Amino acid sequence: MTSLLIKNARIASEDNDDLLPADVLVENGIITKIGNDIEAESATRVIDGSGKILSPAMFDTHIHMREPGQEAKETIKTGTEAAINGGVTGVVLMPNTSPAIDSAAMVRTIYEIAERDSRIPVYTSGCITKEREGKELAGIDGMLQLGVKMLTDDGDAVPDMMLLKRAMEYASEFDCFFASHCEVLELSGPRALNEGKVSYKLGIQGTPACSEEICMDRDIRLAHATGARLHIQHVSSKIGMETIRWWKQMGAKVTAEVSPHHLLFNEEDIGNYDTHYKMNPPLRTAEDNVALLQGLKEGVFDIIATDHAPHTSFEKEQDFVSAPNGITGLETAVVSLFHHYINKGEFGWGLLVNRYSAEPRRMMGLDPVAIVEGGRAEFILFDPKGETTFSPDFMCSKSENTPFLNKTLDGSIDLVVVGDDILLQR
Amino acid sequence: MRLWQLTVLFNWPLRLINKDEMPSTLTEADISNGVKAIAEQIGQCQPDGDFVLVGVRSRGDEVAARILELLSQKGIEVPMGLLDISLYRDDLAHLNSNPKLQGSELPFPVDKAHIILVDDVLFTGRTVRAAIDAIMDYGRPAKIELAVLIDRGHRELPFAPSYVGIHLETQRLDYVDVKLKDTDGVDLVEVTKKNEV
Amino acid sequence: MTRKDLLDIESLRREEIEHLLDQAAPFKELFTRSVKKVPALKGKSVLTLFYEPSTRTLSSFEVAAKRLSADVTTFDVAQSSVAKGETVRDTIATLQAMRTDYIIVRNQMAGIPLAIARATKASVINAGDGAHSHPTQALLDGFTFKEVFPEPAGKKLLIIGDILHSRVARSTSTLMRKLGVEVAWLGPGSLVPKHGPSEIKRFTNYEEAMKWSPDAIYLLRIQMERQSAPFFPSLREYTKLYGITQERFKRIADQGTYIMHPGPVNRGVELCDEVMEYQRCLIDQQVENGIAARMAVLYWLKPNTGENVRPIEEEPN
Repeated sequence: MTSLLIKNARIASEDNDDLLPADVLVENGIITKIGNDIEAESATRVIDGSGKILSPAMFDTHIHMREPGQEAKETIKTGTEAAINGGVTGVVLMPNTSPAIDSAAMVRTIYEIAERDSRIPVYTSGCITKEREGKELAGIDGMLQLGVKMLTDDGDAVPDMMLLKRAMEYASEFDCFFASHCEVLELSGPRALNEGKVSYKLGIQGTPACSEEICMDRDIRLAHATGARLHIQHVSSKIGMETIRWWKQMGAKVTAEVSPHHLLFNEEDIGNYDTHYKMNPPLRTAEDNVALLQGLKEGVFDIIATDHAPHTSFEKEQDFVSAPNGITGLETAVVSLFHHYINKGEFGWGLLVNRYSAEPRRMMGLDPVAIVEGGRAEFILFDPKGETTFSPDFMCSKSENTPFLNKTLDGSIDLVVVGDDILLQR
Repeated sequence: MRLWQLTVLFNWPLRLINKDEMPSTLTEADISNGVKAIAEQIGQCQPDGDFVLVGVRSRGDEVAARILELLSQKGIEVPMGLLDISLYRDDLAHLNSNPKLQGSELPFPVDKAHIILVDDVLFTGRTVRAAIDAIMDYGRPAKIELAVLIDRGHRELPFAPSYVGIHLETQRLDYVDVKLKDTDGVDLVEVTKKNEV
Repeated sequence: MTRKDLLDIESLRREEIEHLLDQAAPFKELFTRSVKKVPALKGKSVLTLFYEPSTRTLSSFEVAAKRLSADVTTFDVAQSSVAKGETVRDTIATLQAMRTDYIIVRNQMAGIPLAIARATKASVINAGDGAHSHPTQALLDGFTFKEVFPEPAGKKLLIIGDILHSRVARSTSTLMRKLGVEVAWLGPGSLVPKHGPSEIKRFTNYEEAMKWSPDAIYLLRIQMERQSAPFFPSLREYTKLYGITQERFKRIADQGTYIMHPGPVNRGVELCDEVMEYQRCLIDQQVENGIAARMAVLYWLKPNTGENVRPIEEEPN
């Protein structure tokens, strides 16, 4: 029998910012005892958790692993290692690979690669339309039979409203939900940055926030009309947040996510064409940052998801318009949210555990991994006094396209445990 | 032209400051005497005033203006021009930043003119080379002569001045710092020995 | 006071702008000589890299570089592999290997000159990038404006036309603001950006803009070809609302307002023929000043390609 004892840690749980000081004993991958002064002799391994926080491990529902098709940016192997490095023990892949994940065969391929290469469970979403082209419906039943829960054309919206409406009506038969990347292409321009002060200064046509807001409203209306469940991805603007709030009050079956970068950064960070701040939807304004944080605290946003989007340095070092959209997020999310928010008292561990561990799992039909007696061990040990430098050596992702590159932030993930296995120990 | 030849030619008590008695500074009076010496030499050689003065910026223009004044007292009225040789320097590629241009003003036809170039210090001769090149781009003068307030020796190019105010013996690496009233607020020449730097 | 690159007006300090405008004058003075060439950049190589066709700006730079005795090479983008999908970064590597001293670049994409400047030791001059910046145009405009108004602070400049897509409007507005000139924009609402600096006045009505009494009017070229979705219904309607028609020109001439234009002009669209003959039309002067301003820029910049660089001495005494 293998056993693990974490001594003197403080336990985080969802929607409760109070941390519970206790020892935690894990036997055969199950938390068998939580209490004070558990005898060290009872465990084969003992880890001192003094001053540290024991939190349920995170789950990220918005990940681009680039495999198959763009393995120079990331693979399922490197991407899942990046997840572990960031305290994330389950991921949902986006289907914009090449070829796109739009059929049972592609889903099976992803599962096979994950089975071979990943130390954590990998889930995938499936396309709404074939090859994400927005023209014909993808093989929805075949994908859902293999356990796919989320249908999305992420990377793009479904421009044809009739097609999206039919997809929603068709899928009402199944246990699945839709996820929307919201954007009206005609309004987007070159999809480089927000329309505003900075787009004027840099001389690049900006994408107005209404491009996202109109599509968001459109998709929720369609879902509401058809009875489909809808999840809104990476909301970037204040009015977008308020749109979701209003629809929730109207009783729509809608959930929404916000990404750390839309909370933490805004268009001013682009400075002199820094492509590490280029993503889609683009960073908006400081006013939007405030509103998004408010939306997160007030529950308008059900989950946090990173939209982990690796790109090679070569691609990102191009000029601003040519460089691809997106930044990596798996390895930086927990530490950066701790550094900027938890450590400054903006919100507590309870909110982080709820939005980045429990709710994402529930959305995917999985059980949360609360640290309770009888529960499965799936947690991280976080040192609030430690620090993390996001050097290329530190990061497991194949790509380095993050604004945190070579920056040092407060907090450190010292241990990641799933069941019997210690996936990471620093 | 050798120094002794000049002295013979002009029969003028040229100020020659030799090594033993060389001061580390020249005063306002020294400078004034130097300018007078040049004006006298020019007056003797060119009494009909059929020439123009061209002062090399900066400070050569101020020396030229003083000579012009003295010549005018002698009844010799000539035009004066200003020459900025910055664009003709041969060391631009070696400078961290290029000298600020002040511009040239040559308010007379350069073609067929008899030009007396005026500068404050004659050292390597590179400024003179630049100045002659610059003038040639304005036209084809009949003749170019050179007048300098101070000749400190150590030529790197084969130039000899036609009119000299002060001969100053220096070491190759000494730094000769000329200050003139209109440009610098004071008339003063200071020689910094290399080992003092 | 020097820089390696000239990429925009925004990052130039006011003293640097004043310096460059002052330095343009002695270069312009050279144009009156029989020999217009000076040896300042003898032995230096200048590469022009124009991804967008532009006869005027390219020629102006070539003349400026040649009058400084530099060797000018044109990197023919249309003929090179750039057209065949070579990335800008690969082109930059090629340029670096060529060991050129100055690179003059124009690109339809904003930020390309910066990307090149970061990757090369050569001095990079932005000759226009997207709707971002056109710093030498702004300098020649500033130089021309100062020739007419030696004390430009407090004077009023009205820029009319497609401000939204115009790097000229951006750069010239920024430079004029730095000189203390009051700047206003006039154009159709769809072509006047909402998000520009708040100290720039915005007009969408011609009469109201003229009530502001500008000292000079800067007309921009109206380019229908740049517009994927229409920004105004027709050129005819544009001219009616914002063009300098004969009738409007009479009032302008009566008031003695100066006219500027970056060229090439669309006669009958943004201005009528009479404007071109107008005594206070500065368009030709702008072209001549463009060469002087670009010479001043080339003379001012210092590439990192040299080896034995030593501090400046005023003159070797």
